[in-house]
Amino acid sequence: MNKTLTAEAMVEQISDGASITIGGSSLSRKPMALVRALARSGRKNLTLIVNVGGPEVDLLLGLGVVTKVIYAFVGFEVMGLAPNFRRARQNSNVTFEEWTEYTVMAGLDAAIKRVPFLPTRAGLGTDVLAVNPSFRTITDPFGGETLVAVPAIHPDFALIHVNYADERGNGVILGDGHIDVLCAKAAKTTFMSCERILHGDELQRFGRDVQIMRIHTQGVAELPWGAHPTGCAPEYRADLRHMEEYMEATGDLERWHAYQDRMVWVDHEQYLDRMGGREGLVSRLHV
Amino acid sequence: MEYSLDELMIATMAHQFSGEVMVSSVTAFGALAALVAKKTHAPELAVLATPESGMEVTPLPTLTLGQFLTDVQRGIPLTMEEIFDAIFCDLFRIWINPAQIDQFGNVNISAIGPWQRPKVALVGSRGIPEDTSHLSQIFYYVLHHNPRSVVSRVDFRSGAGNGPERDQLLGRSGAPSLLVTDLGVFTFSGPGGSMAILSLHPGVTREMVQERTAFPVSGFTESIEVTPEPTAEELAIIRKADPLEVRKLELLSGDKAAEKFVAIYERERQALHVAWPARSRI
Repeated sequence: MNKTLTAEAMVEQISDGASITIGGSSLSRKPMALVRALARSGRKNLTLIVNVGGPEVDLLLGLGVVTKVIYAFVGFEVMGLAPNFRRARQNSNVTFEEWTEYTVMAGLDAAIKRVPFLPTRAGLGTDVLAVNPSFRTITDPFGGETLVAVPAIHPDFALIHVNYADERGNGVILGDGHIDVLCAKAAKTTFMSCERILHGDELQRFGRDVQIMRIHTQGVAELPWGAHPTGCAPEYRADLRHMEEYMEATGDLERWHAYQDRMVWVDHEQYLDRMGGREGLVSRLHV
Repeated sequence: MEYSLDELMIATMAHQFSGEVMVSSVTAFGALAALVAKKTHAPELAVLATPESGMEVTPLPTLTLGQFLTDVQRGIPLTMEEIFDAIFCDLFRIWINPAQIDQFGNVNISAIGPWQRPKVALVGSRGIPEDTSHLSQIFYYVLHHNPRSVVSRVDFRSGAGNGPERDQLLGRSGAPSLLVTDLGVFTFSGPGGSMAILSLHPGVTREMVQERTAFPVSGFTESIEVTPEPTAEELAIIRKADPLEVRKLELLSGDKAAEKFVAIYERERQALHVAWPARSRI
């Protein structure tokens, strides 16, 4: 079955109030082209679920379309704190739930395994348990030990970006896998963008690097540079120059609106043109 | 041989590694410490290229190229499940650089001020709760030892230190082992698992430590040891592995840091390709 869709057709299926888990990690392989399409769709009251969040969480918070964020981390790694996330955390009505890296994985895994929770020791002795109302402590029925019960996370949608995919929805990830596989399996509907669509059996030569299986995928879009401004190893690195521009733009409302006009309210081809076109991107970012 | 503070700290951090365990390379300091250890006293270390992947690589500190290092060196890709299984099995070591650490070794990377309405929202606990509930050795480093970073009590416990709650729920798994700062090396073997001095860096006095710590530090006996200086071999390893001096970034601030940052960003692809000529996968 051919599952190719445009980014616009994918986000059309997402409704207001949906919960969306997003793959990648901070400045690495975030499905930014899909996230920009989601931003243009006008969908609002979204719940975002990330392990290590970055520009995708920050952009959607900056557009005011998010009501809740489940996260273990949101930041720009070497670039420092994420400005809209920081602002929203310090003063907004957005609900933030701080989880941890493994507990986000365990929550998605519990959904995949169709169990209500998974136990762990992670979080014991920390204040995460005090501020996160989703966790409970339970007593091990065998040994009597205190453990944390991590509830299943059931995302409506997953958005991920991979190196290569085929039209049926198999996906190849060549750099760090992050938690994309868990996102794809746990969500009711998974939309995947890729740098390039491969045909026939070209994809199968990648063996174990075919990490996303088509039985979990509902839509595929070919969007070259679709992770920009985050990186997509081993092809292109994160665009720290652009991240700097982004961070400056979040500093005041006028510049923030101008940034949106230039970078969000444009289609993917126009976006790439504004980044210097494909040649410019290659010379600045190809590794 | 002349050396700088970053090199002293990295060599000191390197001495802590031992055995056949995975070592995460989250920061330049941590990556270089792992490399020094592997090339000197701990050859069995499995050093990662990034926080989560690329086993069996030689780290090259960069701003954007960790995963590319895995590719050009044909490092072994790992999944996040494999990383966390290594943590749960206590086969993982990491040097964590918290925003705050307190006298009982609790650490904070989540928020300054109350978590619900922070004065400064930081990044979130990430994987520190996993580390501080499972690993038999937990290492911290702080670059600017002062009363705002080495505090009486952290504003938020992202990682579990010593205390009654640990004793009841976790035992020694994930307890703080060591803290290296720009002033000295500290353990958490003082009264009630509190911070105690182990050694002072060359030129640092006990008064300086006490002035720049928000609580009384214990362990000041008559003769406090001085942190050993890095050897010529250790310095050579650090300098060769970090030609762009990414390690210096962590200690700089303001314009100097910004200038160095841009210089590294513009030059690091070339540095990578000089060290490991690129090969295409398809």
